[in-house]
Amino acid sequence: MSIFGKILTIGALLAVTACTNATKYDNAGAGGAGGAGVSGSASDPTSAAFFQQSIGDRVLFVVDQSSLTDQSRSVLQGQAEWLLTNTDYSAIIEGHADEQGTREYNLGLGEKRANAVREFLVSRGVAGNRLKVVSYGKERPIEICSDESCYAKNRRAVTVLSGGLTG
Amino acid sequence: MQTGTKISGVAHLVLVGVAIFGGAFKSDPLPFEVHEVSVISAEQFAAMTASRPAPDVAAEPVAPDALTRPDPETDTPEVTTEADKTPDKALPEPTAQPVPDPEPESQPAPPTPETEAAPTLEQPQPEVVIQPQEISPRPQPRPVDRVAPVPVAAPPPDAAPDEVETPQVNPDEGAETPQEPTKATAPEEASDRIVTEADEKPASLAPTSSVRPPARPANRPKPPSNSQSATSNAVNDAVTEALGGAAPAAPAPTGPPLTGGEKDALRVAVSTCWNVGSLSSAALQTTVVVGVSMTPTGKPQSGTIRLLSSSGGPEAAAKQAFEAARRAIIRCGAKGYDLPAEKYGQWQEIEMTFNPERMQIK
Amino acid sequence: MIRLLCCILAALVAAVPLVIQPALAQQGPLRIEITEGVIEPLPFAVPGFVPDNTAATDYGKQLSQVIAADLSGTGLFREIPASAFISPITDFAAPVKYADWKAINAQALIAGAVTVSGSKLTVRFRVYDVFSGAELGNGLQFTGNTDGWRRMAHKVADAVYSRITGEGGYFDSRVAFVSEAGPKNDRRKRLAIMDYDGANVQYLSDSSTIVLAPRFSPTGDRLLYTSYETGFPRIYVLDVGKVKRRALDNTEGTMSFAPRFAPDGKTVVFSLAQGGNTDLYTMGVSSGKRTRLTSAPSIETAPSFSPDGRQIVFESDRSGSQQLYIMPTGGGEARRISFGKGRYGTPVWSPRGDLIAFTKQSKGRFHIGVMRLDGSQERLLTASFLDEGPTWAPNGRVIMFTRETQGASGRASLYSVDITGRNLRPVRTPDGASDPSWSPLQQ
Repeated sequence: MSIFGKILTIGALLAVTACTNATKYDNAGAGGAGGAGVSGSASDPTSAAFFQQSIGDRVLFVVDQSSLTDQSRSVLQGQAEWLLTNTDYSAIIEGHADEQGTREYNLGLGEKRANAVREFLVSRGVAGNRLKVVSYGKERPIEICSDESCYAKNRRAVTVLSGGLTG
Repeated sequence: MQTGTKISGVAHLVLVGVAIFGGAFKSDPLPFEVHEVSVISAEQFAAMTASRPAPDVAAEPVAPDALTRPDPETDTPEVTTEADKTPDKALPEPTAQPVPDPEPESQPAPPTPETEAAPTLEQPQPEVVIQPQEISPRPQPRPVDRVAPVPVAAPPPDAAPDEVETPQVNPDEGAETPQEPTKATAPEEASDRIVTEADEKPASLAPTSSVRPPARPANRPKPPSNSQSATSNAVNDAVTEALGGAAPAAPAPTGPPLTGGEKDALRVAVSTCWNVGSLSSAALQTTVVVGVSMTPTGKPQSGTIRLLSSSGGPEAAAKQAFEAARRAIIRCGAKGYDLPAEKYGQWQEIEMTFNPERMQIK
Repeated sequence: MIRLLCCILAALVAAVPLVIQPALAQQGPLRIEITEGVIEPLPFAVPGFVPDNTAATDYGKQLSQVIAADLSGTGLFREIPASAFISPITDFAAPVKYADWKAINAQALIAGAVTVSGSKLTVRFRVYDVFSGAELGNGLQFTGNTDGWRRMAHKVADAVYSRITGEGGYFDSRVAFVSEAGPKNDRRKRLAIMDYDGANVQYLSDSSTIVLAPRFSPTGDRLLYTSYETGFPRIYVLDVGKVKRRALDNTEGTMSFAPRFAPDGKTVVFSLAQGGNTDLYTMGVSSGKRTRLTSAPSIETAPSFSPDGRQIVFESDRSGSQQLYIMPTGGGEARRISFGKGRYGTPVWSPRGDLIAFTKQSKGRFHIGVMRLDGSQERLLTASFLDEGPTWAPNGRVIMFTRETQGASGRASLYSVDITGRNLRPVRTPDGASDPSWSPLQQ
């Protein structure tokens, strides 16, 4: 994930000059690094970079399923704890699906996946009004080959932090 | 009275009775199962029949239906439909007759003994039916622009399309009677069914055979009406034969009754020009009966082509169907149909029923 | 005994002529039944339209080219090239030399003339059934702006097509779609609209946000589509002429997508996702009033109205896998109509009301198929790595859909196929393209 760290750092440096609207998203980048957090290195446990690299900002899903695996739960547990500690941040949870399905159905499936993550985080005490949910269906794959090794990585829910600096 | 007279009287009664009513007893052939059969050598056959007793025991637990129907996974769907078609065709023909591309190995003489052997091989069923899995994949019909009842192989590249195949004729310098150079013509390449992309190459994948099976029931209902017209024809034929064909004097020579082959020739000739490709789906559900008067040379008189009746669709669709039927009669009749001149009285007036039911999305 | 036998015998012999007489009388016309024919493209000829004045010279040839392309593109007609013509048509009013056209096997002949005065274009045409030696239907004349010459050519082709096949025409129509550019993990999508044959492409949005699945209104003047411009998928209505758009639903915490117009153009049915559940809703376009139609915990989406507006077909995975269901528009009991092996989605009701087109996934392949309203007579028309999203031509005879190729360099494009499964062909677009929606026949 170091590439993302680099992008995030560069983005963070650029974004220090301007505030970004936490709810507005553009097409650039599948990771959705629109809102930059505090400029800080990944070793800073309060930085978004740390959240992404050490805690893990994503969980993966089985084909056609939106249920959380045990591994997902432990990652999300870490996310919940971090969010409870760093209360400045809110998050948008993006739900995605692989390309092995029709467009509308995948939008619905992405929403179920994102919602499953949100419900877990809320059940661990994170305030509901800090968490939003969006589905990208199959529109934003990060891996583009057409077999299971790529599909598995595309079936994901990514927790994207925002709002560290907005006042 | 003597026994001789009694026997003679009864025999006469029976003869007259059969002559009058015999046609009514003609019934459909019992539908018979057509098995996948491959060409086998005499030794193999002897080996199979020799070991007959053993399979009888083993055959019981096997569900016959599962084996007798060619498994769609290993066998191509086309052959199943082909096999089902044969009972519908005119009955006297041996079943091997409509032998289009998909069954190349049946071409030479063996077909008749093969299909007749099928019923006697009923008992060692399991062995015969296992054979299909060894048949090499059948040539698939390619999707081709033209779909016709009889498939036609691709013509030589520079042949102009025409119903009849004629070779290219080049003037030969030393020939005694100079022949006009004519371009080669050949019937256009045709396949005998519509091939959709979903049907193509079923051998490599488990086929989406949801396409094929529903087509079968649609083919079924034909035999009853065929046999009915066959019945009335047979009665006519039998009666005229009984009377020695002495019909009352007609203005045109009627001659002996038209044979089935001659009627078939006319039917096939018109079929080749009956293009339903450009008919709406409503017109494809409409049956029209068209009347036409013929000249003694076998050409239809265009002005006499008229719609006698229609059924199955709205008037607009009937009009479309009639137009297509009219085009068919005129186009293939341009050079005159192959009808015997001495029987002109019988085919001076023709009523053709154009029934597109079997042409709907094969 | 003998007397009895003799009497019976005599009676039978006497009766025979009675049976014979009607039998002989039956031997009137010869009766045969034709049950098999051929399916082949009908050869036709459309010589260049005769220009009535010099300004119209170019148009004459262009019109005939578009007409020929329309007819040949259906797969039901085959053009006979001009090089084969024996006698060209130089005078629209002159009688037709049928023999010359029969000789080259043209079964239909389309003759036309075109006049240009200023910016006004007038097109006249006649259709001839060559082998019957007569005109088919009446001549027709169209007048319009020179800019609209393609539409006039399409209208001529529609008239010819209808007269010969009996089907309604579909050439004077447009297709809205999503134009795609860029690599698979960074696709730029924008709304576009074009003539059904790929001409006159216009873009209706920029590629700054993801847009999906535009759908035409019943009168072809508006488009419904889904856009991520707020950061969440939401449904919008766009006025095609003015290119002005408006969000239909912007409720916080929800996402809306898969919208379709009702046949009266005043109501929209769509999917709304919230709290891990996607359900169907209807909404008045002007009033904004929302009515919930389903409340199952499963995903209900891809709704489509019947042409009479009384029923809705949709997909749902309430049975454990995606299947098709039909329910009354007001909501209520849904009945399942798909029963084959595989997953069924994106159902679309035919404008003729007789068939449902759909996407089917089975054994790792995608297919476009059609089935009757009760699910019977399911037929698959295509098979590939990824086919989806069928849309019907206005005459209910042709289907257009998206086909995407496999792999990292995979690309989406539009294809059309006849309802018989024949004539599968690509639709040309300037770039990648997906999510087509066919407009109704333009007036």
